[in-house]
Amino acid sequence: MKNIFDCKLLITDDEPELCKMLSELLHREGFIKIITAPNCQESRQLFASEKPDGVILDVSLPDGDGFSLLREFRAVSAVPVLFLSARDEDENRLLGLGLGADDYITKPFLPRELTLRLCAILNRTYFPAVLKQNAKPVFSLGEIKIDLNSGSITTKKGQLTLTAKEFALLEKLYENRGNIVTGDSLCRAAWGDDLYGYENTLMVHIRRLREKIEPEPSSPCYLLTVRGLGYKLTGIKSK
Amino acid sequence: MKSIMKILLRYVLSAAGIALILLIINFTVLIIWTIQTGEISPKDYSISELAAGLSKSNGIYTLSKSAQETIEKRFQWAMLLNNEGQVVWSKNLPAELPLKFTISDVASFTRWYMNDYPVYTWHHPDGLFVLGEAKGSTWKYPIKVSQKVMENTLLWIPAVLILNSLAAILLALLFGLRLFHSLKPLAKGIEDLAEKRTAELLTTGLLGDIAAGINKASAQLTQQEAALNKRDNARTTWIAGVSHDIRTPLSIVVGYASQLEDDPELTPAKREQAGIIRRQSERIKTLISNLNLASKLEYDMQPLRLDSVALAPLLRSIAVDFLNSELSDSYSIDVSISENTQNILIRGDKELIRRAVSNLIANSIRHNPNGCTIKITLKKELNNCLLAVSDNGTGFRQKTLISLNHPRNSLELPNHGLGLTIVRQISKAHGGSTEFHNLPEGGCTVILCLPIDCTHAGRT
Repeated sequence: MKNIFDCKLLITDDEPELCKMLSELLHREGFIKIITAPNCQESRQLFASEKPDGVILDVSLPDGDGFSLLREFRAVSAVPVLFLSARDEDENRLLGLGLGADDYITKPFLPRELTLRLCAILNRTYFPAVLKQNAKPVFSLGEIKIDLNSGSITTKKGQLTLTAKEFALLEKLYENRGNIVTGDSLCRAAWGDDLYGYENTLMVHIRRLREKIEPEPSSPCYLLTVRGLGYKLTGIKSK
Repeated sequence: MKSIMKILLRYVLSAAGIALILLIINFTVLIIWTIQTGEISPKDYSISELAAGLSKSNGIYTLSKSAQETIEKRFQWAMLLNNEGQVVWSKNLPAELPLKFTISDVASFTRWYMNDYPVYTWHHPDGLFVLGEAKGSTWKYPIKVSQKVMENTLLWIPAVLILNSLAAILLALLFGLRLFHSLKPLAKGIEDLAEKRTAELLTTGLLGDIAAGINKASAQLTQQEAALNKRDNARTTWIAGVSHDIRTPLSIVVGYASQLEDDPELTPAKREQAGIIRRQSERIKTLISNLNLASKLEYDMQPLRLDSVALAPLLRSIAVDFLNSELSDSYSIDVSISENTQNILIRGDKELIRRAVSNLIANSIRHNPNGCTIKITLKKELNNCLLAVSDNGTGFRQKTLISLNHPRNSLELPNHGLGLTIVRQISKAHGGSTEFHNLPEGGCTVILCLPIDCTHAGRT
């Protein structure tokens, strides 16, 4: 298996039109080996004979339910299973995930969401990028280069280091780059608590961070304040 | 139980009152009767007059005419004894009586009877005037009461009254308690009915009929409740079923529409049409999930995951979610949280509150396609917090405003969508209220009044 698109996928759903739609969708995405089953019995047979690398499972099936089918699969295999169900009650979702499903998507779903989630699961299962994930991002803000691995900032004038709190704040802002991050989220990232009681502390740390990353800290252009809500990191060039 | 105690008290008091009133009436009647008899008899006749009517002239006794008539009418006989005990004059004297009496005879008949004749005596200048009545006509008994008793009359009459009342109260209490005991299960049965519990009472005893009636009412109520629940259940299950069944076809529609939307071989116009199909399908998805939630909230079938919810961070994160979701620049969202509500906690379902506030923001966005400023404010008022979502847009139509503030049937399908109905239901499920207003300067505001969680007064 060279990449996830070599994975063999088993789709089990009693609605043939949906199976067809999913097959086409996944084909278009790049998957080649796709098999479908309309009920538990066929799904069981195909699972045993074809040994799929990924399973998309409906919960309500004509001759049983997806939950017990998953239990059977899990008894013999740890293959990734993704539920695709019309039941959106929390109990069902929790039951499915509790049984060891890798994800639970409710119908109607956005095709893009389904393919992204499926690819993510398959990637994690068959191409675990443990080393890759440990590598933290390196990015630029204008002329400043920031390396989150070392927590260092390289400017024209020289190199600066981030304090632990500044690092936590910048990392959180970077993860949500382009989006507003509430003061509460930032405080949780840095101090493990909501904003209340930390407003001034947060402001102080943001000011220090600006002094390091902004060319003109008093009129910031990368780390922007969203009044009453939080902060936003923009203008990032990834390397 | 309280009311039964009241009934018992009133019963006992009224019993005592009745006894007292009866006693007073009896006393009064007795007194009046005594006085009356005392007054009537002298009018009719007076033994002193009769005695005076007997006069002696020339050694012969003559009885006045009126005295003679009276004696004949009312008495049997009369006689006059001289001081030696000899009969000196008589009228109709029965033969069986002696003509001479000893002192002891006189002493005896003045108090009791003379040969069974009830007699009356009166002083006469020549001796003792004696009147005899027919045998068996009058019952004579001399009353002797000690002086002390008569002197203490003012003391013992009230004492007797009080004793009687006490006895009446005690007896009434005794009987009342018996009644109380038989009423107690009935009262409990009625209480059970009020609390929607099943009442099963023993139908024996004095009040068995009433108990049987209560049992019957209880059974009917239970039946009705079950029928009502069944209907509500059926409705909710039906809506849940429909919204479940619609999901799979909708998935296929959205799936193909998205594929067409992303298809580079199609013209931009066709792709835009596919995009419209997808967006409208997503609207249907929102609609059915709203319908499902509204029916569950209406019939208390939506399980609330109650937890302490910090409102301020929640409101900020909702606003940020909207701002981060590629909201057009023509909209702005302001969050203003007063200082004393920054750390406010309410007991609620975080996801439902998020849903309510999101619905309100989405509503403002949808009804003001040209953009508007949305303001979220949080204030504290006594033990409630006021969460308001306002905008400076077009506002509600007057008719909509009335139907929102005064819903006739809470689950009527309003033409303004279910979003606001759900907001109201969520607020209600949290023990709060909802107000919809138009603002004088244009736009509208929706205020949720939610009770503050007092068990957690706030964090430090």
